Amino acid sequence: MVKNILPLISLLSIGIIFSSCKPKIDASGVISAGEINAQHFVAIGDGTTAGYMDDALYHDGQFNSLGALLQTQLKLVGAGEIYMPLMGNANVGTNANLLSRLILGYKTDCLGETGLSPVRFAQQGEGSSLTTSVYSSQNKFTNFGIPGLKMIDTYQHYIGDPNDLGYNPYFGRMSIDQFTLPAWSGMWSTVSDNIFNGGNPTFCSLFLGIEDVLPFAKSGATANPMTQLFGPPGVGFEESFASWANMFSVQNIKAVVGTIPDVTQMPYFTTIPYNGLNLDATNAESLNQIYGPLGFSFTVGSNPFMIEDPNAGAFGVRPMVEGELILLSVPLDSVKCHQYGSVYPLRDEFVLTLAELQEIRNQILAYNQVIRQYSNFYGLAIAETPDFYSGLNDGFVYNGVSMSAKFVSGGAYSLDGIHLNPKGNVFLANVFIRAINKKYKATIPQINALNYPSIYFP
Amino acid sequence: MRILIQLLFLCLAPSLFSQGFQVNFQGQKQQGMGCAGTALPRDASSLFYNPGSAVFLNENSVIVGGTPVFANVLFIDSASNGAYRTNSPIGTPFSIYGMFQAKSSAKLKFGIAINTPFGSTIQYEDGWIGRFALTRLSLKAIFIQPTFAYRISDNIGIGGGLVISKGSVNLQKDLPIQDANGVYSHAELAGKALGIGYNFGIHLNANKRLNIGLDYRSKINMKVNDGEVTFNVPNSLSANFPNGNFTSSLPLPSVLTLGAALKLNRSIKFVVDVNAVGWKVYDTLSFDYKQNTSSLSDTKSARCYKNTFAFRGGMEWVALRCYSKSASNEIMVVTRIPLHELLVRCGGGFGISPVQNGYVTPETPDANRAYGTLGLGYNFNQKTGIDLSLYYTKVKRADTNIETQISGTYTTIAWCPGISFYYRW
Repeated sequence: MVKNILPLISLLSIGIIFSSCKPKIDASGVISAGEINAQHFVAIGDGTTAGYMDDALYHDGQFNSLGALLQTQLKLVGAGEIYMPLMGNANVGTNANLLSRLILGYKTDCLGETGLSPVRFAQQGEGSSLTTSVYSSQNKFTNFGIPGLKMIDTYQHYIGDPNDLGYNPYFGRMSIDQFTLPAWSGMWSTVSDNIFNGGNPTFCSLFLGIEDVLPFAKSGATANPMTQLFGPPGVGFEESFASWANMFSVQNIKAVVGTIPDVTQMPYFTTIPYNGLNLDATNAESLNQIYGPLGFSFTVGSNPFMIEDPNAGAFGVRPMVEGELILLSVPLDSVKCHQYGSVYPLRDEFVLTLAELQEIRNQILAYNQVIRQYSNFYGLAIAETPDFYSGLNDGFVYNGVSMSAKFVSGGAYSLDGIHLNPKGNVFLANVFIRAINKKYKATIPQINALNYPSIYFP
Repeated sequence: MRILIQLLFLCLAPSLFSQGFQVNFQGQKQQGMGCAGTALPRDASSLFYNPGSAVFLNENSVIVGGTPVFANVLFIDSASNGAYRTNSPIGTPFSIYGMFQAKSSAKLKFGIAINTPFGSTIQYEDGWIGRFALTRLSLKAIFIQPTFAYRISDNIGIGGGLVISKGSVNLQKDLPIQDANGVYSHAELAGKALGIGYNFGIHLNANKRLNIGLDYRSKINMKVNDGEVTFNVPNSLSANFPNGNFTSSLPLPSVLTLGAALKLNRSIKFVVDVNAVGWKVYDTLSFDYKQNTSSLSDTKSARCYKNTFAFRGGMEWVALRCYSKSASNEIMVVTRIPLHELLVRCGGGFGISPVQNGYVTPETPDANRAYGTLGLGYNFNQKTGIDLSLYYTKVKRADTNIETQISGTYTTIAWCPGISFYYRW
């Protein structure tokens, strides 16, 4: 009896052990393209789609761009290889002013205090990249992310004309024109000419509109007017977007389009507090002597900065009020050491007042209304990016990591305070993926943001 | 033969009916019978299961046993479909028992139990999605329980012991801060812990066939007083994350067990246990750092465990029993000890998870749990013998943690083959 049972039980046990020692991955996570054909995917957009970050376009940033991230996931459902107008792989990068990308380094301020601060990675940006054509007739670009591109720019010939004020060098280097005016047409090719050259895409992402307001906001609402709502394609926002939506429909292209976030929520505008003027008794007293006659008083501790405002009484000077924003472009050493923002009020170009903020936000709301209206009409998927950007402002937790819109430490924005870093771009790409999944009944997995870097500390 | 196999499957298939970081491997005989045996004195491991029942064993004995735990966890992230596994080291719960009496069938017994009813080591693979919550947790607690037991009458026994718990904790996780090469920072919290509790049990022989046992093991608060925290962060942030000391504590819950044992005939015994586990004590896991900075503040993480029940049952079948000719004529006080005996055991159980929805963490990816066990016992002669057991469970839990937002499905498979040797005189 014993002799029979023992081998049997051991056989039985060993059999069970070998068959299921580790949990198996079941097939519940089936990946499907749903109603889209991802084969010829093209991403259209501005710096975010291009991978512009840390105030430059550079090689690694491009691989962590919204466009590249989206296409990486779309490759799971049949999208082709990613072709981008790559910058040099030394990762110096350049912005339009030929400065290199920013990294986090040490900087000594006017008080002699050394601390962490964004500093340029190299003395010069890789300017030659902007004057060297990377166009290839074999490998058509799948990423038409162009830093600085406005919605209205996509229909304009001037952005390809090196001699025009509206020329965009990031576009020039990738355009089919290769810096030469096409003889057959006599006109510089547009962005859409490039995209539709040699066959239609089957699926597009379009995330434009930030640049239609951002330059205005970055000037402290003093220059670079926002794109007007009305006017023909290339002039008015509405008709420009409507043309895209209509074109997608006519060409039978499915697409996901992003609505526009409130750019004034970005760290570039929110890092310096309006009441960051910290005074001791001596300074408060001397400021009271200066501004007392105007009816402004200062106390020991935190006070609002003083700003220029033409509408503020006879002297055009007043303290800031809650909700108003100071831009990161403000010369901080002057603030720290030369009484800038107190004895000398901050100039208009460094400040967004409540009225200016209202104007910017209203314009974005109007743009978004246009985007939603036409997208719904033409059956496009809408990625509500403002939900993500606002969520970042409130802060959220992702797999045990706290994310916020805080400059440097928040983990999502790059060192320019406007463009997202790779990790931030993943969150944004996931907004687009969820929108695609919802609208087109696809089941494309989202990206694990923790596999992507944020900011490197020395 | 056929009956035996049918019985085995009967036990395994519906899995009749342990949780948190509790480990219920304190005796091979009980493990073979679904980890139940509060009302069945079988050997010195009763010092743990019910000191009150130990008095009905007429022997001096020593048991040494261990149960390697082969556990594997698979986590599937719900958003990205990413799959991540653990590569935990093999768990090594062990138990050592010694039970002594001044003379044969003495009313008073003394015993000592050393075992590991709580603890685990879980280590996730590199780069897993929950790395900023946990990369590795090693929790060890060794219980040392000196015990006295007294037979009040032929039917009633009581026993109790002081439990001294010595342990250690080592928790590691990555920090979402990258150095100049993109390498993530790391934190390690390590400390020694100490706690004190007790174990008390009553045993009742209701009639010739039925025994009842009741046992209460108190909660033990494991305090970590001078734990050491070590940070590996970029140089520019080293002032924000100073290495130093921390304090913390981990409560080990009380366990109240009501058990019954039924002797069907000379060959078959059944046992059932119901555990009420006071997991509610594990409400918050907090770490209090001696030196706080703008980046390093004390943490309090809600665990919100709830009190739970576990139901366990099993049977033992005497497959073979033979008496030596000389011994068969002797008259024994309590039992006649066979020369050779082969015992086959099976059992199973069901435990309700103390972890509520929204609170599942990588350190204890817990779920309601059904398990099955098998066991074999054989004595070589009247003094020495061996017991074997095998425990299997597979649990699955989908959850989104409220604090960390880790969202996905944990699947755990555990195989635990155990072995023990005894010597009695």
